[in-house]
Amino acid sequence: MTLGFGLSRRGFGRLVGACLAAGAFALVASAAPQGALAQKVGGTLKLAFGHDAGDFDPAKAAYGMSHAVIEQVFSGLTALDADANPYPDIAESIDISDDGLVYTFHLRKGVNFHDGTPFTAEDVKFTFDRLKNPDTGYPYAVQLASLEETTVIDEHTVQMRLSVPTGPFLVNLAFPGSAIVSKSIVESGHDLGATPIGTGPFKFISYQPGTMTKFERNADYYEGDKPYIEAMEYRTIADETAITNALLSGVVDFSNAIAAKDWATVEANADLTKVPIEGGRWFWVGVNNQAEPLTSNLVRQAIAHAVDRQAIVDAVFYGLAKPIRGGVVPEWSWGHAADLKVFATGANPDKAKALLAEAGYPDGFDITFKIGTEWPPLMAMGPLIQANLAAVGINAQISTMGTAQWLDEVFTARDYHITDMYWLSPLADPDDFTTLNYQCENSMNFQGSCSEEMDALLDEARSATTLEARKDAYRRMQELSMEQMTLVPLVSALILHAHTDKLKGFKPMRTGFLKTLKDAWIEE
Amino acid sequence: MIRFLAMRLAAYVPTLFAISIILFLAINVAPGSAAQVSLGINATPEAIERFEREHGLDRPLYEQYVNWLYDVLQGDFGESLQSGAPVGPELLSRLYVTLELAILAFIIANLIAVPLGCLAAYHHQRPTDNAFILLATLMGSMPNFWLATLLILLLTVTLGWLPSGGYVPLAENPLENLRLMIMPALSLGVVSSALLLRIMRTGMLEVFSSDYIRTAVAKGAGQRVVIWRHALRNALIPYLTVGGVEFSLLFGGVVIIENIFLLPGVGQLALIGITQRDYPYLLASVLLIAVVVLTANLIVDILSAWLDPRVVRTAGGS
Repeated sequence: MTLGFGLSRRGFGRLVGACLAAGAFALVASAAPQGALAQKVGGTLKLAFGHDAGDFDPAKAAYGMSHAVIEQVFSGLTALDADANPYPDIAESIDISDDGLVYTFHLRKGVNFHDGTPFTAEDVKFTFDRLKNPDTGYPYAVQLASLEETTVIDEHTVQMRLSVPTGPFLVNLAFPGSAIVSKSIVESGHDLGATPIGTGPFKFISYQPGTMTKFERNADYYEGDKPYIEAMEYRTIADETAITNALLSGVVDFSNAIAAKDWATVEANADLTKVPIEGGRWFWVGVNNQAEPLTSNLVRQAIAHAVDRQAIVDAVFYGLAKPIRGGVVPEWSWGHAADLKVFATGANPDKAKALLAEAGYPDGFDITFKIGTEWPPLMAMGPLIQANLAAVGINAQISTMGTAQWLDEVFTARDYHITDMYWLSPLADPDDFTTLNYQCENSMNFQGSCSEEMDALLDEARSATTLEARKDAYRRMQELSMEQMTLVPLVSALILHAHTDKLKGFKPMRTGFLKTLKDAWIEE
Repeated sequence: MIRFLAMRLAAYVPTLFAISIILFLAINVAPGSAAQVSLGINATPEAIERFEREHGLDRPLYEQYVNWLYDVLQGDFGESLQSGAPVGPELLSRLYVTLELAILAFIIANLIAVPLGCLAAYHHQRPTDNAFILLATLMGSMPNFWLATLLILLLTVTLGWLPSGGYVPLAENPLENLRLMIMPALSLGVVSSALLLRIMRTGMLEVFSSDYIRTAVAKGAGQRVVIWRHALRNALIPYLTVGGVEFSLLFGGVVIIENIFLLPGVGQLALIGITQRDYPYLLASVLLIAVVVLTANLIVDILSAWLDPRVVRTAGGS
């Protein structure tokens, strides 16, 4: 079944403006039936992940692994394709008003939740009212900040009204947190956190903490014969080497969490299909903007120039990463600022020293460097960064700690000088790459920076109505980020997928998510 | 004997209390908040406050402890802070895994320690004895997780004979269960056999030097009869005591091994409890481990008292 991008003419024009059209065409092409290949239903796919899932209620889930489960069990109004372009999912088509403020969703008919409850427009309204309700405590509420009201037009039509035009709105709707839940199921007191029930390609069967989540094919899924895989197991394997061993010995068939150090071993195995992809996973040095002497732009710039990014690429990622030369939006994204090459790929100690001297610290200073132990690449790059800083006179004392303590000291109490961190943007959209880290008081902004100029640029980039205007705003925003240097971008690391070669038709996603598994099948 | 038993049992319950109190204090002294870990970095302060209120984490420590204890005494171990799943059933399903692992490892340890210990004693101060002593030193000084890594490297990565980890219940597929259990059981068993081997050897040497063995040898009893019928039984008394302690150590020492071999046991649950600050999991699993350790010790005490009445007398029980 072909999933058309059923937009009205007006809506289509608006979407071109929002730079989504390219994806729409790509989608029509990629979703063309591959019937000639005799796809068949069946098989069990065992997948390995490094982290454990937790809460499966879309409105409560805080972690990527919970979202990875939610995206299989639930549907969104939109979903993202492999290249992170949105397409209508449980909506059949979407109309957008000329002013970009009213979105009308025409919903699929005859869709049921996994327990048989029929899906209607009421569920959509309930879902978003619930996410907008402050009592829900939805962790990603900022994504829906511009959503003013959701109105049911009829049983299969919903309208959303925004306060300002929002470029990434359809992208945000594809986020697993925005997944559609059933009004009657939630109101009956059912705990979606423990047992999620959605309309997605796979039904949730069971979850054992620290061990695995089991799924079963949803035979009533609305995309033709999809999904093809009969059952899936998401295994939690905390140790990265154990993931590779499990993959090599056939304990699991699939992983997108392969450590760079093991990639050569995986590549040498003839029975595995390797699919690396550059997505939205980027690493940075978090700098406490409110701690002396890091309050100075010049000092933070000095740190940024002192770091040898190529050394990190080579030693930590075995070449499977790219140094970030300027702004944080990656090369493959339309928001990338190609000409903004501020850093050398290697270290530039002379420039760093000059900046330190200008800031009034010609002899450097002493700081603490707190690192979370549960992220091997962060641990590995710590000493490299420490040595780079020492070369320009900054003496960084490393102290390591578990995640819970890291969250407590660095994230909450902000009792730190520098740290290193990364995240994988689940939306892979320029807005998602930047706003969370650079906007005042936003969730990922634990450096404590706040600039009206930056916030204005981020708002402009989000609400501009043409692609060119948005692009231009992201260009200026990234330029400003280099001057303010509230955080120090390091590298963008590839997401390393490998799977049994019996799995066919799988496309890795820029977001690191696995919604595209519904299109893949297992050949016996 | 009855008084002896009563004394042992009387020590059992207060020990559990003490463990639970220390654990409760340690958890609350450790940095990191369950709410922050559970709700993630995007959590609003209000959400964190509500989480702590809902789970009673905002209450004074003694109140939290009393509430927890009250529930536990009624068999309710509470719910996971992360997923809301009840802890009791989770703990029970994991108990089977860890028990199986510990029992298999214990069998392996004994299969190594008893024959080699006897042989070493029999060949006292000869090359065989020296070789076994060296072997015991080697086995005893290996950390079990290191041996586990070596086994995976050899049997999984190089030879491709065994899966690197995972679990299938014994009842579902006994053969696959054994294939998955053999490496973790070996890692634990080999390392814990070292001490047992030495105890066996020392025990046998002591027995060998006793009069009745000399008599047995003098009356012309064969080697095998002397070792297996006359000596071994008596040498087993000290061995049993150490063996019981070894078993409880095995049960408590599964945390790392279960994580390496992806076994959904009690040790793994304890680790989840620690890293995710999921206190109900941590409390329940450590308490279970403590119960097993204490019970194993109790059984050993009773067995040794039964085998050797002098134990009861020295404990002032007769």
